[in-house]
Amino acid sequence: MNRAAYELVIFGALLASCCTANQGAIGGDLVNSAVNRQIDLTSQLAKFTTTITLENAGKTATTSFVLAIDPSLRDRLSFIGATTKDDEAEKLSVTQTTVPGRTTDVLFRVDLPKALGAGQSTTVNVEEAYTHAQTPYPAQITQAEDQLVLFKGNLHFYSPYKTQSETTTVKLASNKIESHTKTKAKVEDSSIVYGPFENVEAFSQEKLQIHYENNTPFLAVTSLVRVIEVSHWGNIAVEETYDVRHSGARLKGSFSRYDYQRQLDGRSSVKSFKTILPAAARDVYYRDEIGNISTSNLNEQDDAVELELRPRFPLFGGWKTHYYIGYNLPSYEYLYNSGDEYALQMRFVDHVYDDQVIDDITVKIILPEGSKNVDLSVPFPVDRHPDELHFTYLDTFGRPVVIAHKSNLVEQHIQDFTLRYSFQKLLLLQEPLLVVFAFYILFFTVIIYVRLDFAISKDEASESRMRMQGLLDQLQAAQDKRTSLYQRYEDAIAKFKSTKDLAGFTGSRKKIDAEHKELSSTIKELQGKLKLESTDMAEKVGELQKLDSNLKDQIVLSISLAEKVVAGKMGKQQYIDNEKVYSAKREDIMGKTETLLSSL
Amino acid sequence: MSSAVRGKLPWPLRMSYDKQDTLLKLFVLSIAAVLSFSTRLFSVLRFESVIHEFDPYFNYRTTRFLTEEGFYSFHNWFDDRAWYPLGRIIGGTIYPGLMVTSATLYHVLHFFNITIDIRNVCVFLAPLFSSLTTLVTYHLTKELRDVSSGLVAAAMIAAVPGYISRSVAGSYDNEGIAIFCMLLTYLLWIKAVKTGSLFWGAMCALAYFYMVSSWGGYVFLINLIPLHVLALMATGRFSHRIYVAYSAVYSLGTLLSMQISFVGFQPVQSSEHMAALGVFGLCQIHAFIDYLRSKLSKEYFEILFRTMALFVGTAVTGVGAVLMASGKIAPWTGRFYSLLDPSYAKNNIPIIASVSEHQPTTWSSFYFDLQMLVFMFPVGLYYCFCRLTDANIFIVIYGITSIYFAGVMVRLMLVLAPVMCILSGIGVSGILSTYMKNLDISKVQKKTKKTDTNYPIKNEVASVVIMMMSLFLITYTFHCTWVTSEAYSSPSIVLSARGGDGSRIIFDDFREAYYWLRHNTPEDAKVMSWWDYGYQITAMANRTILVDNNTWNNTHISRVGQAMASSEEHAYEIMRELDVNYVLVIFGGLTGYSSDDINKFLWMVRIGGSTEKGEHIKEHDYYTPSGEFRVDREGSPTLLNCLMYKMCYYRFGSVYTEGGKPTGYDRVRNAEIGNKDFELDVLEEAYTTEHWLVRIYKVKDLENRGI
Repeated sequence: MNRAAYELVIFGALLASCCTANQGAIGGDLVNSAVNRQIDLTSQLAKFTTTITLENAGKTATTSFVLAIDPSLRDRLSFIGATTKDDEAEKLSVTQTTVPGRTTDVLFRVDLPKALGAGQSTTVNVEEAYTHAQTPYPAQITQAEDQLVLFKGNLHFYSPYKTQSETTTVKLASNKIESHTKTKAKVEDSSIVYGPFENVEAFSQEKLQIHYENNTPFLAVTSLVRVIEVSHWGNIAVEETYDVRHSGARLKGSFSRYDYQRQLDGRSSVKSFKTILPAAARDVYYRDEIGNISTSNLNEQDDAVELELRPRFPLFGGWKTHYYIGYNLPSYEYLYNSGDEYALQMRFVDHVYDDQVIDDITVKIILPEGSKNVDLSVPFPVDRHPDELHFTYLDTFGRPVVIAHKSNLVEQHIQDFTLRYSFQKLLLLQEPLLVVFAFYILFFTVIIYVRLDFAISKDEASESRMRMQGLLDQLQAAQDKRTSLYQRYEDAIAKFKSTKDLAGFTGSRKKIDAEHKELSSTIKELQGKLKLESTDMAEKVGELQKLDSNLKDQIVLSISLAEKVVAGKMGKQQYIDNEKVYSAKREDIMGKTETLLSSL
Repeated sequence: MSSAVRGKLPWPLRMSYDKQDTLLKLFVLSIAAVLSFSTRLFSVLRFESVIHEFDPYFNYRTTRFLTEEGFYSFHNWFDDRAWYPLGRIIGGTIYPGLMVTSATLYHVLHFFNITIDIRNVCVFLAPLFSSLTTLVTYHLTKELRDVSSGLVAAAMIAAVPGYISRSVAGSYDNEGIAIFCMLLTYLLWIKAVKTGSLFWGAMCALAYFYMVSSWGGYVFLINLIPLHVLALMATGRFSHRIYVAYSAVYSLGTLLSMQISFVGFQPVQSSEHMAALGVFGLCQIHAFIDYLRSKLSKEYFEILFRTMALFVGTAVTGVGAVLMASGKIAPWTGRFYSLLDPSYAKNNIPIIASVSEHQPTTWSSFYFDLQMLVFMFPVGLYYCFCRLTDANIFIVIYGITSIYFAGVMVRLMLVLAPVMCILSGIGVSGILSTYMKNLDISKVQKKTKKTDTNYPIKNEVASVVIMMMSLFLITYTFHCTWVTSEAYSSPSIVLSARGGDGSRIIFDDFREAYYWLRHNTPEDAKVMSWWDYGYQITAMANRTILVDNNTWNNTHISRVGQAMASSEEHAYEIMRELDVNYVLVIFGGLTGYSSDDINKFLWMVRIGGSTEKGEHIKEHDYYTPSGEFRVDREGSPTLLNCLMYKMCYYRFGSVYTEGGKPTGYDRVRNAEIGNKDFELDVLEEAYTTEHWLVRIYKVKDLENRGI
């Protein structure tokens, strides 16, 4: 089946085990006026498509009818659904039911879209899928042999109503038929047509048995665990763990790589298969317990990511393997919210391979820490297990895990579930804050450890050194500031020269002078403190002060020079010559200061 | 104008010299630590996070067991998956340090809900510990000489191939943490020697305990420390500090080491540990004599000394002889003999000789694994001799002994690599600091400075030397990276080759076969294979095997060798006797993988023939009359009909392997096989991997009677 067909697939209720039984009558006035059955055995599945024309031969209108499942295939039923002929997109509701007197039968009640009045007739399409309905016979074959399978069913449409006319077409995987039930049979290449049979009684059974060659892969997923981890930071991580088994005829005797490589035999073996992932899947991996499986290909297409999986070894009958695949999805495609209410809409089971058979699936949905009011709705009945808690990176009180389980699935079950829950958005900040806090604590401890002295004994020398270091740092800062003042002096002079604004200049000069004085006194103070630690250092600072006062003198000279030239008391050339001398001197003093400072 | 030059300095230079110094040290060390971690990740990036080789698989399996089952069941673990039908007491026959370390790490991480897989803990443990090793190396070298040598040594050990070879990500082996433990013990020992403090002695004993718990190589350590003490005594440097240090380390360390069940009473029984005990005794005597000397006059002391020496000497020899004769002192084990006498193993124990890492080291591999360290090592020694201290004597002894052992056995290159780094670090730093001083960098005073008449081109010489050293160091890094990437980063479980178009072809056959075994054979199936693959089969296929890499039972391995070397009927008897269900062989003839079972076959013959039951297996039967080992038509009929040959070449006779060559052309031996068309009577092919690298056969049941 292709993907487009899924959309047409109708759905309803399912297996006996997980269904609430509702009681009712069969409604004996209905008649199957025409039944056309298509049994598709081209894959490992048995897919029944039945077109039933129902006629109400009674006097009262009816709104529903009953479908019965053939007793020989009862335990193999995986899926059942119905549509009306006119509107194939509209799925009819199918629910399991019991009827007094027919307790052993598995019965389903189908609700018709509108009441079927007396004498009226309607046409309904019913689709059923059975797994493991074809059994390999012989059960063991050698590598060179082809796989023969046996299908056992009912020649007639098993119905609680009388059938006026019916035909059955069986489509086989090959035209090599060993034997088949001969009653009214007509073989056409790879299909057999039975019928037409007229006036078949209700609940009639007649053996239908076909033994033929079917080399299609009999691959069954014996167990699948699908873990969906939702993060509100924009990612949904999916990891699926598979146990896969070749459920066809078991390999008898040896496996010869030589024969296999010449591709002469091993036709029923499985070399690889295709898994289709959502189109948005990123970072896909394919691994098992012992590491990465290097034999896979990823094919990105517009509407899907096609993953060609090749198990480590080809799967012959009875061989099994175990692997897991995982990928990330952007959450905006699957997670919807309004306020603090969230809804996750994803597939309960995804495509594993064409005509897939999944014996058991467990879906685990890991929600963000702090999610509450979880409500899971799945279009078919599933077992809800009690919720668990999951702990991973940065978790404190655990993430809720929703667990659902279901058996016997086919590709018709590829449908979306909806999981509603509420989550306070503020909780999103919890994890980053945790990290911030942890780092804060770490740094704080380091600071405490480094800054505080935990020694029992007192080390005078190192303490004095540290005190001195502190004083020197302050001195450094003050000196840096003081040096920058000279730049400001120069700027002020330059400005004064261009604007010739004496008042402004005097103002700014006064301001700088005041600052200079303040800084000088700070340094003097520091010098006094330094003297207590080391006289040597204090002397050096004294030298520094001396150098600075020299520098100050120089700048005063430079200022008076500037005043002269502005007042016109001096020629320009003369000014430039003098200024050059002064600035060279200043440069010299600054250089000296620099060397003195670095020696501190 | 240049008003605020100082204000414009970048912030690190504005700090005080102390702070700058600390910052620089921290910076260099953390870079070295990060480098040593990241340079070991080649294989993870190229392949995947996977365990390498053979032994690591065993360690991985036991670690997994430890994390799942807890320490007590680990301690009491009797493994029935290996050495069928004998089994193996794992808890009592391994050094548990490695497993306990990763299990602890795992549990600590999980306590904080950091859900890291145990496999990843195992894969990244060795790189993590090598980061720690760089830090320890720094401290050790700092203790031995100075900070700058420490920094150079730390940077060197971060990338030295001799150490990387055993500590890349995925190489989850004892050695990965043992080197760290060893250097830590040395560091603490040096501290103890320098301070003479009981505290450091006790710390050293604890580190020694960790070392003992993690690697059998601790024997080297427990002989080296006494040797150091002995050397100190001989040079007259014995003092109270050394007395305190050694007495503490020896007594505490020995008591602690006896707590490891695999070590047990060996520290007081086996001859490998006797040196330590002897030196301990000597220490007491020396201290006692020193005491007496300080109390007695010279003449009396002489008399007393002579009598005592004679008496004690006789007593020690007598007791030693009695214990040796009564077997209380274990006979020296084969591995130890092969250390002292490289030809010992080859002549006496084939199973030791068959392991490639037990072979003597070639000269080229010294250069390959150490590069410039080989030349800088003597320089470092020179610097050590220049300023001999108690600590320096230790490193000199360590260097000289380990260079001898590394020459005997390739695998001990690992022990040599750290000391090479330390001594070269001292050497390089010595040269650099000597010449850096001569380098004239102050440009302003350059012209004015008068040239030193005794040393005419001081600056030029210094520049040349420094440039040369820098060049050496640069080539060292390139060499190390190249070696790591090319030689030591292949996981060997996944093989890769270059295809004709330059693309990479991956041969994942080993895992294919192991995984097939894991899922498609009965849970209790017994698999027979050569012992090399034992650990991998138990870990990856989870099946019972007959022999594995823990080659503790020579006769059992020999029995397997006999089965492989015998004809089919004879082998069938052995296989029935050993209850074998599957036989696994490695065959490289199709792909050209040269370390396959046919190339190892002679060892199987030798080991098979080395015991009583296999006396009929004679090595020369498998050679041609002219003494060659050939698989083609000329090969000896015994070889062409033995089980191993048949299993490897079953149906290979019809395969075309290379264009222009006949069918059945073996690409490893470059020969067309001699026995092409045969059927197997007692075995059937169960599985052969895609590239025929691994072939698994099922042993047929006995035929029904009367048919």
